[in-house]
Amino acid sequence: MNNSKKIKINMPSVLLTVLAVFMACCCIFPFLFMLSSSFKPQGQVFEYPIRLIPQHPILSNYRTLFSRDQMFGQWYANTILMTLLTLLIKTFIICITAYAFAKLNFKGKNFIFIIFLSALMIPGDVTLVQRYVVYKHLHLTNTMWALILPASFDMYFVFMMRQFFMGIPNALTEVAIIDGCSHFKIFYKIMLPLAKPAILTMILFSFVWQWNDYTNPYIFITDTSKQMLTVGLTMFQISQVNNYAVQMAGATLALLPIIVAYLFLQKYFVEGIATSGMKG
Amino acid sequence: MNLASKTVLQHRKKLSGYKLQEQRMGYLFILPFAVGFLIFQAAPAVFSFVLSLTNMHFMSNVSNLKFIGLQNFVELFHDGEVMRALGRSFLYSVIYVPVIVLFGLLLAALINSRIYARGAIRTALFMPYISNMVAIAIVWSVILDYRDGPINNILRSCGCKNPPMWLMGEHTVLPTIVLIAVWQGVGLYMVTYLAALQNVPRELYEAATLDGAGAFQKFRNITVPLISPTTFFLVITAIINSFQNFGIIQVLTQGGPGEASTTMAISVYKASFVQYRMGYATAQAMLLFVLILIFTMIQWKGQKRWVNYE
Repeated sequence: MNNSKKIKINMPSVLLTVLAVFMACCCIFPFLFMLSSSFKPQGQVFEYPIRLIPQHPILSNYRTLFSRDQMFGQWYANTILMTLLTLLIKTFIICITAYAFAKLNFKGKNFIFIIFLSALMIPGDVTLVQRYVVYKHLHLTNTMWALILPASFDMYFVFMMRQFFMGIPNALTEVAIIDGCSHFKIFYKIMLPLAKPAILTMILFSFVWQWNDYTNPYIFITDTSKQMLTVGLTMFQISQVNNYAVQMAGATLALLPIIVAYLFLQKYFVEGIATSGMKG
Repeated sequence: MNLASKTVLQHRKKLSGYKLQEQRMGYLFILPFAVGFLIFQAAPAVFSFVLSLTNMHFMSNVSNLKFIGLQNFVELFHDGEVMRALGRSFLYSVIYVPVIVLFGLLLAALINSRIYARGAIRTALFMPYISNMVAIAIVWSVILDYRDGPINNILRSCGCKNPPMWLMGEHTVLPTIVLIAVWQGVGLYMVTYLAALQNVPRELYEAATLDGAGAFQKFRNITVPLISPTTFFLVITAIINSFQNFGIIQVLTQGGPGEASTTMAISVYKASFVQYRMGYATAQAMLLFVLILIFTMIQWKGQKRWVNYE
């Protein structure tokens, strides 16, 4: 018989697994519901009992999104451009700042660091109005720079990257100094390549936050044609009032890049949190 | 001898040159961040003090601001709507903070125990955290739809005659929003706790088992105290985040029905971008900030009593 290989089934483990699977289902059910509704005609979104695999999948919801009188494609393009620019600028600024705080000695370093750090105590919602007034006078409102620039000066990641750089032994740089390497070269040739995993974690989280941001585009961008995907989706809720199927298709496309990135690179999300004591 | 001292001297010179270069590089490297910090973080923060003392209106220029002293603050303490919003913000935090921290710990403990398919389950549990607020709001408002939503359909077929109104009910709306916020955010708490749990030395559990301690006792007397620094960190984070609820409420209910889910964050938004009273809105925001600060400080002072640092 095949059962000769003793398979040890541990009862508590099975029960715990069942509980965990139930929790996991609660977490992914809304996504499955969204995905399946996006392929259904509006009339079937609310059908009960729920059918997660549509009887006759249709694509017309997606076609509606990209039809000529909708701006969905435009919002999508805006969001991609805005996110890419943010990642580029942010990565550069955060890396040099964190490196300076971790590895270079200059007067007043700790004092400046603590001043910067204190900004983390102020939640963004509290300064919404003041930021609006400041950005307006800088002529940043209604441009994507109102979203890109503030996100680029993120002390949170300076802190995380500084912790990472501090973990790299000084012996490495000392050898390079004796060999006559300049500080910039040390940063560029030695430190950056070593920091790749931390940088990747930072890029992934920044990507998710920036792509998903709702509050800032909602407040700072006024033209519909310059709007981002998240706010665009809410406009959709208004213009397609009861067409939940089309809304679901929009929501699916808005989540797609994030979920794909997450599924392929989740190691960097989870381990990034584990190593740096990340917060939200 | 002479040659040796010469090279030492050269080395010293080289090193002091490096020290100078290092100073300059240091300032140069933090310069861009410092400029951005001043413009995008320090300026709005300092500005809020000034703004909250003025009668600034949406359209008015900074040049014709009028200082009205503490008038905004006097007004807001007599403003029933603002005070009710403050109460709702408190209620929101009082539910949100313990629920998300506790749930995060339970999920982490569950994942950390001997279960099958751990990786896949962890992936699923963290998924809501990375997803888009607006997409989530659309999906949840359909799932929780009072008349036709799947949840209420299930409840009705289980014999529940009056299923909850969820987002449409005056009394259920705030807990429902918290529920969705916890659903979305708990993954981060779980993963953070998971890292802490994995750092608890195994020997401690083994020793306790030898002494005849049960699973619950081990959890209470070993795990909880040893991960208390993480708990402290997460509680502080949760408090700050719990007051940061503009996005989720605006997309789910816009503060409704009526004003049943109008928290301080929504109230600040309404005062500034609906009533155009920027000065008054800033005063409200200041009040909110001071409250967050007090909360955080109480936690900070209280940490000695329950946080164990090694």
